[in-house]
Amino acid sequence: MTTRDLLTGLTGFTDIEAPLAELEQPPFEIPRTVPKLRHFLQAALALEFLTIPPYLTAMYTIRPEANREAWYALRAVVMEEMLHMTLVANMLNAVGGKPVVADPEFVTDYPAKLPYARERVPIALRNFGREAVKTGLWIERPERMEDLPGTGEEPDPRGWTSIGQFYATIREGLVRLAERHPDLFSGDLAHQIGPEDFYNSGGMAFPVTDLASALKAIEVIAEQGEGVPGSIYNPDERLFGQAREVAHYFRFMEIYEERRYGPLDTPASGPTGPAMPVDWAAAYRIDPEAKVSDYPKGSQVRAAAEQFNLVYARLLLLLDRSFNGEPKQLQAAVPVMLELRDLAWQLYANPHPDPAKAARGVHASATFEITRAELTAAAAELDAGVGAAALLAALS
Amino acid sequence: MTRAREVDGHRYDVIVVGAGMAGTLVAKRLGDQGWRVLVLEAGTKTLNTWPGHLDAMNTFYSSLIKVPNAPYRANTAAPSPSVLDTLPAKDGHGYRSVGYLVQDGPLPYGTDYLRADGGTGMHWLGLTPRMLPQDFKVRTEFGYGRDWPIGYDDLQHYYCEAEREIGVAGDTAEQAEAIGLPFPEGYVFPMHEIPSSYLDRVLARELDGKSVLDRYTQQQVELQVVNTPHGRNSTPNQAYDGGRGFRPESAAGLPNYGERCVGNSSCTPICPVQAKYNPLKTQERWNRKVTLVDRAVVSRVLVADNGRITGVEYQAYDDPGTPVATTHTVEADIVVVAAHAIETARLLLASEVANSSDQVGRNLMDHPVMLTWGLMPGQIGPFRGPGSTSGFEKFRMGDSRKKHAPWRLVIANWGWTWAAGSPGSDVADLLGIPDSPFKPRGKAVYGNQLRERLGDRIGRQVAFQFELEQDAQPGNRVTIDPRYRDALGNCRPILNYDLSDHVKKGMRAALDVSHQIFQLLGADERTAYPSDAPSYFQYDGAGYTFQGAGHGCGTHVMGDHRHNSVVDQWQRSWDHANLYLVGCGSMPSIGTSNPSLTMAALALRSVEKIHHDLMDLHRPLVLRPTPVPGYAQPREA
Repeated sequence: MTTRDLLTGLTGFTDIEAPLAELEQPPFEIPRTVPKLRHFLQAALALEFLTIPPYLTAMYTIRPEANREAWYALRAVVMEEMLHMTLVANMLNAVGGKPVVADPEFVTDYPAKLPYARERVPIALRNFGREAVKTGLWIERPERMEDLPGTGEEPDPRGWTSIGQFYATIREGLVRLAERHPDLFSGDLAHQIGPEDFYNSGGMAFPVTDLASALKAIEVIAEQGEGVPGSIYNPDERLFGQAREVAHYFRFMEIYEERRYGPLDTPASGPTGPAMPVDWAAAYRIDPEAKVSDYPKGSQVRAAAEQFNLVYARLLLLLDRSFNGEPKQLQAAVPVMLELRDLAWQLYANPHPDPAKAARGVHASATFEITRAELTAAAAELDAGVGAAALLAALS
Repeated sequence: MTRAREVDGHRYDVIVVGAGMAGTLVAKRLGDQGWRVLVLEAGTKTLNTWPGHLDAMNTFYSSLIKVPNAPYRANTAAPSPSVLDTLPAKDGHGYRSVGYLVQDGPLPYGTDYLRADGGTGMHWLGLTPRMLPQDFKVRTEFGYGRDWPIGYDDLQHYYCEAEREIGVAGDTAEQAEAIGLPFPEGYVFPMHEIPSSYLDRVLARELDGKSVLDRYTQQQVELQVVNTPHGRNSTPNQAYDGGRGFRPESAAGLPNYGERCVGNSSCTPICPVQAKYNPLKTQERWNRKVTLVDRAVVSRVLVADNGRITGVEYQAYDDPGTPVATTHTVEADIVVVAAHAIETARLLLASEVANSSDQVGRNLMDHPVMLTWGLMPGQIGPFRGPGSTSGFEKFRMGDSRKKHAPWRLVIANWGWTWAAGSPGSDVADLLGIPDSPFKPRGKAVYGNQLRERLGDRIGRQVAFQFELEQDAQPGNRVTIDPRYRDALGNCRPILNYDLSDHVKKGMRAALDVSHQIFQLLGADERTAYPSDAPSYFQYDGAGYTFQGAGHGCGTHVMGDHRHNSVVDQWQRSWDHANLYLVGCGSMPSIGTSNPSLTMAALALRSVEKIHHDLMDLHRPLVLRPTPVPGYAQPREA
């Protein structure tokens, strides 16, 4: 059975048969209590985070110097996903919640099922290529939104149909709760992350302190992805006075179609601007279902893949601290992100240890697997003073 | 996208010659005020696109010697000098100069500049220390050089404005406390300071509070590591601008990129992420009143017989590899020449304008840089962070200036790069590769041993840059001679350059201080000044070499009288009321501060005068009946 999106004409994938990991989704209802709202926002945090490993994998599997335009487009998208995650954390902190990041439950396995969707669309860690770009198109697709859940006591039996619908539901819940709870936004301001600690993305990080800033955060998240309704552009110009940029879905479309959008293009017209040649072969091919356990014990590839996941766990710990009262920890998290990039590059540059796969041109890859064990080991490393912080502390 | 030939015969409110830092800022402010501005750039504007930047990065990566102009492609129509043009003399004594600059002075002028959109502002290090109040009156206070007609207080407002345009990161409280700089009440820089490097912190731990002896004054000078203000993106200060904060400027040509320095330590010659300010970032904020035309080499400033400047003559070329051009003219009410100290002097001399004082081209200054280097006892992590993040500031000030030139003691984060070509030279050394093809190859180490020894050596490299104030000397000058021309037939600059005894004495004192510091650190000093180096000279029984800092200043010097200076305090030519000469060339003395920030402040100050000049020119005269004294005009009912 071929999956097909009615609005965009996107087709599904046929190469992944294995069962897909499923992100925990809140019941299909409008959150009517503050604890339920926090639950929804924690789910949104996980949703934003889910997009990052597939996008990073696509970006870092591009061979050095090749496909630069695609590389910068992916970079811009992934930075904005990080912004969305930060803004969701700000919302969650604003309503007195406690963002959870360093937890095996928070991190999904891949391939994962596209959340908040009826279709079975696998979100896998794919190397740069048409399939990876199509994955991005599925995640960011503009939607004709179906009705929000009903207001009955029991969860609405119809179920989620789109990410846009999920955020619209949070928005509705926020508006209603803010009416009934004047002190809804009473979270500790010191937990908010602002432009001094988050940078290099379109839009900007800003503290969420009231309903208006919360609604603005939701607007940024929705429109940087799928565009201002009826347009191919994101809202950065209107909201932040920045350069107008093409929204994520349309950036992916530019790569997919190997053509840029022109100034007069619309979502319906598709890109008609200058050609943007893509060298689809200039990427390290990887197994989209790779696991650390695929690599022989004791091999260097196995050690490198395990090291990657250990550093990945360290990043999660630092992000967790950043979102829980120590915004300055983001400064320590950035070098860890670069360390992950370098470790991933080393893996992608290696042929797969399985000779049969290597013969087909498949390379080793970073698997982004997190269990309690990685988190415990990473926490011990941090406590023992890994990284520059301890070095500098020793000086004073 | 206007091409050079298309503006032939057009008329603008203002022509700006040169799209470097000063010209770009002048154009920005005048454009914002509504004036029609034409900017003529001799070089190309390839760099102002992201693919252009990436091309420069690739050129930089593949160049064998990472000199300041390494990333920027050659241009035969508008050639730039290179620091590689100064070579040892064939007989082993002194230097010879090849390339664009003609040099015949006692010592080499070892400094380059860049003729391209963005100018030398593309490869500046990005340090923005202000000048000290005492730097503006060195003749009165210390008996050397030339005084300014204005002082620190006159520039205070414009320093703040320049710090906004450039986006300065720094700590005003520390600058006030450690250096004594006055700031307006409550003022902070747009961004928090660039974090001090690990090396800075090691040096602070070892040296802060200790002191060294100045041999000439017999005074102890206390050591204190002080963070330097930078034109480089850092954490924005939410307290800036009355609590409105600051958004760091992204890279030119790629939005949302380079909003923080990530410590590549290749600031000179190129910041890979463009976290360092460059003029192209300001150009992205030019409004439509500003037109940039590249590949337009201004060959003459045109003057009418009433002494007013009518416009400029320029040569338009298409292919930077083919030195073929057509000549055109364009007119304006006011002409601003902002083409770099040496190029501006060259253009004025070739145009035979603005030189009734005979000072054009004279007083050429730089900050001669004396390098000292050594190996620390332990790892100090060089090659992380910008080229320099901190320095020792006490040597810049005080009565020792009466005895010898002052200096800023800059802590280098790039190991022995400048001093000895590290890390490439370390690799060659351990592989046994000799410095001359005529010598036999030595014993090499490979594999783990090579890696370990490289890591040990490079990780302990420390270098200091003593950047000395050079005093204005009329004999240090730029001249032209029709026998020396470039490919388009323009006269090349001829330089006569030397160091005064005041400066040489400063080096003597500085070398002494350096020895004492290495001793305090327990470091293994490796400083060596080979006698066959191009800049080698002897003074008071010891030999020295020095480098250029790229701080060309002083060739159209500012003063309080038309008889002995080229421009007035507004950088306006004494000889031509509608000609402004904007840039480091106007500075009568340069203290020990990297000059770009002060140049930017001066440029913004000139803009106010230019704006008023233009208003005066354009305001129509309204004829009114002459009032009769003592007679009250009847009011309308």
